[in-house]
Amino acid sequence: MKLYLLPSDNIIHFITKLAEDGPVFYPVFEDDKVHLNKFDKDKKFELNFEKIRTVETIKHFLFPSRDVVAKFPKDAQKKTERQYLVGVKNCDLRGIDVYDKVFLDWEPIDFGYKQRRENTIIISADCPEPEDCCFCNLVGLNPFCESISDINFTQVSSGLLFEAITKKGDEIINKMEDLFTGASKEVQQQRDKIRKHAINKLNKINKKSFKKDLPKRVEKADKQKMHNARKDCVECHACLHACPTCYCFLLSDYKRGKNFERVRTWDACYYAAYARVGGGANPRSKLDERFWNRFQCKFNYFNKYEGIYACSGCGRCYRGCSGKIDIREILWNL
Amino acid sequence: MESVNPVKNSDKVLDQSQRKGLSNGVNPYYSIPIKIKEIIPETSNITTFILDGMPIKFEAGQFAELTVPGVGEAPFTPSSSPYAKNMEFTIMQVGRVTTALFNLKEGDLVGVRGPFGKPYPLKDFKGKEIYIVGGGVGFAPLRSLFLALLHNIKDYKKIYIRYGARTPDDIVYRRLIPDWQKINGVDIALTVDVGDESWKETVGVVTVLLEQIPVNVKSSPTIVCGPPIMLKFATKRLIEAGFTHSNIYLSMESNMSCGFGKCNHCRLGEIYVCKDGPVLTWENVKDIEEPFI
Repeated sequence: MKLYLLPSDNIIHFITKLAEDGPVFYPVFEDDKVHLNKFDKDKKFELNFEKIRTVETIKHFLFPSRDVVAKFPKDAQKKTERQYLVGVKNCDLRGIDVYDKVFLDWEPIDFGYKQRRENTIIISADCPEPEDCCFCNLVGLNPFCESISDINFTQVSSGLLFEAITKKGDEIINKMEDLFTGASKEVQQQRDKIRKHAINKLNKINKKSFKKDLPKRVEKADKQKMHNARKDCVECHACLHACPTCYCFLLSDYKRGKNFERVRTWDACYYAAYARVGGGANPRSKLDERFWNRFQCKFNYFNKYEGIYACSGCGRCYRGCSGKIDIREILWNL
Repeated sequence: MESVNPVKNSDKVLDQSQRKGLSNGVNPYYSIPIKIKEIIPETSNITTFILDGMPIKFEAGQFAELTVPGVGEAPFTPSSSPYAKNMEFTIMQVGRVTTALFNLKEGDLVGVRGPFGKPYPLKDFKGKEIYIVGGGVGFAPLRSLFLALLHNIKDYKKIYIRYGARTPDDIVYRRLIPDWQKINGVDIALTVDVGDESWKETVGVVTVLLEQIPVNVKSSPTIVCGPPIMLKFATKRLIEAGFTHSNIYLSMESNMSCGFGKCNHCRLGEIYVCKDGPVLTWENVKDIEEPFI
């Protein structure tokens, strides 16, 4: 694909122009953390694309934590509007990959997700400085994006080096071609250098790879070993709610006058009542069983279904964990 | 840098094409409203709800999510024939949704969403003896199967039903069984855990009826539905008797929310009970550590 340079001075114009079409969410640095906040043209614009993924996953934007999915007795679906997610990192795109498979490829299609997905333009950014929690390289990803998003860019010294990935992305660049210039060889070389640095850094952070037969190892994992690994778990469920690939949900009905709404909320397989049936029986009443199930789901079953791990290597589970359980350590030791 | 690509291992997972075929352009979360036409109590805690029509087309073995408006929904396999005019559900009062359902009256509105899951492979049953084993409210989905078999009874060599309940008063469809027993090509045997003075048939748990199995175990399908403990022991006995593992059809119990393999609640091992089941063969579930919860 052709490369374009968005010079530094034009970045704000590019974002402002996008915002005319729909809300733009981009990384904002607050309290030592990066959040995906809404762009406001009246507020100071800052560049934080060199930071790692935001605290929030982008699943919020496609699969809200609470969403009305049906009404009764007459159904009515809300129309969703165009939104732009700018500066998304490749780890978060693994989440979208998983979601696309579950909600679009596996029938029946989830129309709400489809509509949001089609109306969401994802402009991803290279991740030049991975941190200690990052391990995207262990789950088959690079710290830069080559598919799934509509456009990817690399922050270089003179601006942002753009590459359209989808037709939609190409159209956006073409529409604003006045803001872009051609990409010189030097700029492209700079991109290669930035990417190489990120990969080297990831290799330093994660000195060992996961074994090639990891799914089999997970399937046959020693129960005592897994029990020891979860000893510090306080069941806060942060790992699951912060995970960009977790897609479990629960449907509940709420009265609205004479009618009712069916609401879909995020759920997490660590909850004790998650698999309990009406009569009270529960196949995973013990935390050990639920902990085991999470690993099977992410590294064994989903790999069997789709040939990828339902893990992005973003490290949010580790960063959010009250007991500081490092998923990598568990997987390395299997 | 070389990425570590996950190993694609699909030797055990069920065929992905089995997960297809539900996308009919309808919002899969929407329940079709329908009135309750008639309520027939079957036992002290089991009741049949007859709906005012057939809101969805289904095949025997598939299930639906039944909604009590504003309260919630729960999965049930219809107990009526797929060929009937009215959809029926025979339900035991056990939890929040079923308690709310039992408070409804004839004429009240409920919602139906589905059908979900895979039906019984009736075409594979053709020309064979069918051995049906049920316990308690497990008779409900088996009745749907039985009525579907009766619809084309000439296609099957003989239909056997072996059913057990706790007491004579706990027998579901006691009002219908005498007529079924008169049908040519149907053989029904009943047992109760505890009998009373009027009870003339077998006393004992349902496996007592499985001591003598009059069918060709090598070729006949056997279909089992009942409480988990009964499923466990009946399956054990059927395996001992020599039924082929892929011919032992079990109705699996699992927590279900969406019904179509996305929410993950029902998953037992790598199997989505809602989508790959709810009827699974022993061959499908025998590697799961504890399939009967």
